[in-house]
Amino acid sequence: MRKLVVITLTLSVFLFVSCSDDKSVTIAEQYGLAYAPLQIMREKAFFEELEPDFEVKWVKLGNTAAIREAVLAGEVDAGFLGIPPLLIGADKGMDWKLISGLSVCPVGLVAESSEIPDFGSLRKDHRIALPQPGSIQHILLSMAAERERGDPALFDGSLVTMKHPDGMMALLSGAVDAHFTSPPYIFMENEGGGGYETVLGGTEAFGGEFSFIVAMADGAFIKDRPELLNSFLTALERAVDFIGARPEECARILAGIYELPQEDILRYITYPGMKYTTEIKGLGRFIEFMTENNYLSSGLTESDVLYEGLRD
Amino acid sequence: MKRSRIEGSIIWFAALLGLWEIVSRSGLVSQLIMPPVTVILRSFAFEWGSGELEISMLLSLGFVFAGISAGGIGAFIISALSFQFDAVKRLSGMLTAVLHPLPGIALLPVFILFFGIGRITLLVVIIHSVIWPLIINISAGFTSVPAVYRRIGSNYGLKSAAFFFRIMVPASFPHILSGLKTAWARAWRAAVSAEMVFGITGSGGGLGWFVYNKRIFMDTPGMYAGILMLAILGIIVESGLFNLIENKTVRRWGVSV
Repeated sequence: MRKLVVITLTLSVFLFVSCSDDKSVTIAEQYGLAYAPLQIMREKAFFEELEPDFEVKWVKLGNTAAIREAVLAGEVDAGFLGIPPLLIGADKGMDWKLISGLSVCPVGLVAESSEIPDFGSLRKDHRIALPQPGSIQHILLSMAAERERGDPALFDGSLVTMKHPDGMMALLSGAVDAHFTSPPYIFMENEGGGGYETVLGGTEAFGGEFSFIVAMADGAFIKDRPELLNSFLTALERAVDFIGARPEECARILAGIYELPQEDILRYITYPGMKYTTEIKGLGRFIEFMTENNYLSSGLTESDVLYEGLRD
Repeated sequence: MKRSRIEGSIIWFAALLGLWEIVSRSGLVSQLIMPPVTVILRSFAFEWGSGELEISMLLSLGFVFAGISAGGIGAFIISALSFQFDAVKRLSGMLTAVLHPLPGIALLPVFILFFGIGRITLLVVIIHSVIWPLIINISAGFTSVPAVYRRIGSNYGLKSAAFFFRIMVPASFPHILSGLKTAWARAWRAAVSAEMVFGITGSGGGLGWFVYNKRIFMDTPGMYAGILMLAILGIIVESGLFNLIENKTVRRWGVSV
């Protein structure tokens, strides 16, 4: 009996040993138009052009918790996510850094305008779908709740966590009353008829412009392979510039990936308020708000999370 | 025999915890994903002390028992009707074949459409996950009852209801019990995973929501405390409740298989 226990347990240790590979970089992304430069970077092989000996592996993960776990497991070197989940990880002691901005997006709270014409008429018993507590959508909602209604936690009991496509379905079927979402879902809900309108814009909630999606890199990756990181940042910059310079070609590439008509994609990526930029915006305000409201507890500062190469 | 079985489980459990502690402290993996057992236990004590864990546990238990009860009654009625009427048997056979392999989560969009987002939907997901295995087990139990028992029943002049409860149910109880064990495990999985797909904060979430929420905010020890709670409940019900039922029924009646 004891022998069997020992053998089984020894074998199970191998489950925790994963193979790492020096000739590849693994990048985690999520789904949505905010990640468009990544698809361009991949299609145009911008990174491979700079580093022909390296292979980029892209993994699409369902949520930011999965990205954090993959980074901690050493399975992912860099990735893309909202600022708040990045801060929560850093606050808990994760060694990862913000290396670049990616997009500024017209996110917002969408509701049926006859029922909820403005943010002021949103009640506690209305149900609000958003990806998850602690997500950028939740933090933005709390920020607006604090400023306009005096209580950041006012709607914390009204949240229903759903992925964007499920949230859109729930809103349209009336299962929830409002949906805090991002492109392309926010465009579809606003333009799909049925009287749905954005009752609270992201910029309005935040009180200014902010990076919706940013890039992060694992501390070990930054330390061990700085040249590779530089190439990655250069490739990202090229992809962002490419969208700005040749939106039609981008729309053609993206139409196939998002399975949406090319003209819709073109309209979406050039929508007012939609910006692809590597500039990081709003980091300080996120840290301040999240610390005040106990989402962060370690006294995190901007320089704790910013990649050294960016700090000048 | 029984005692050595308990000792065996304890050795295994302790060995697993020991291995966990060693791996966690070895530096091979990040403690942010795999915190030491001692840290998890401390978090368990903290969450229990704050009341959050108990409330989640009671809510989940409530859902699971409600789901199993409703699913159990439904499954019993369907199985009894199938036993009596061939048309019902064909219908329930077809439905079981189609719906049993489908995870409740896959049907969630349909459930949400009809029942909205809330407790009813969660209950429906649980009922869906328990009713099909129960029908299969109860029906198998009924058909396995030897004809001689049934003839004894008719000789005593038992009418349908009495016949079912006094002959069919006791004689097929081992099957019913194993159906209930499957249902118990399925119900938990359904309750926990449904809450991970759509969680409702504030208005009170169960253990699935507890685990999910801890994971989102990267409170890993808290997350494992929730999982530990699930494991403890599993052990209590499996070796406590089911064992007790087994001892009071099938072993005493001498119908155990």
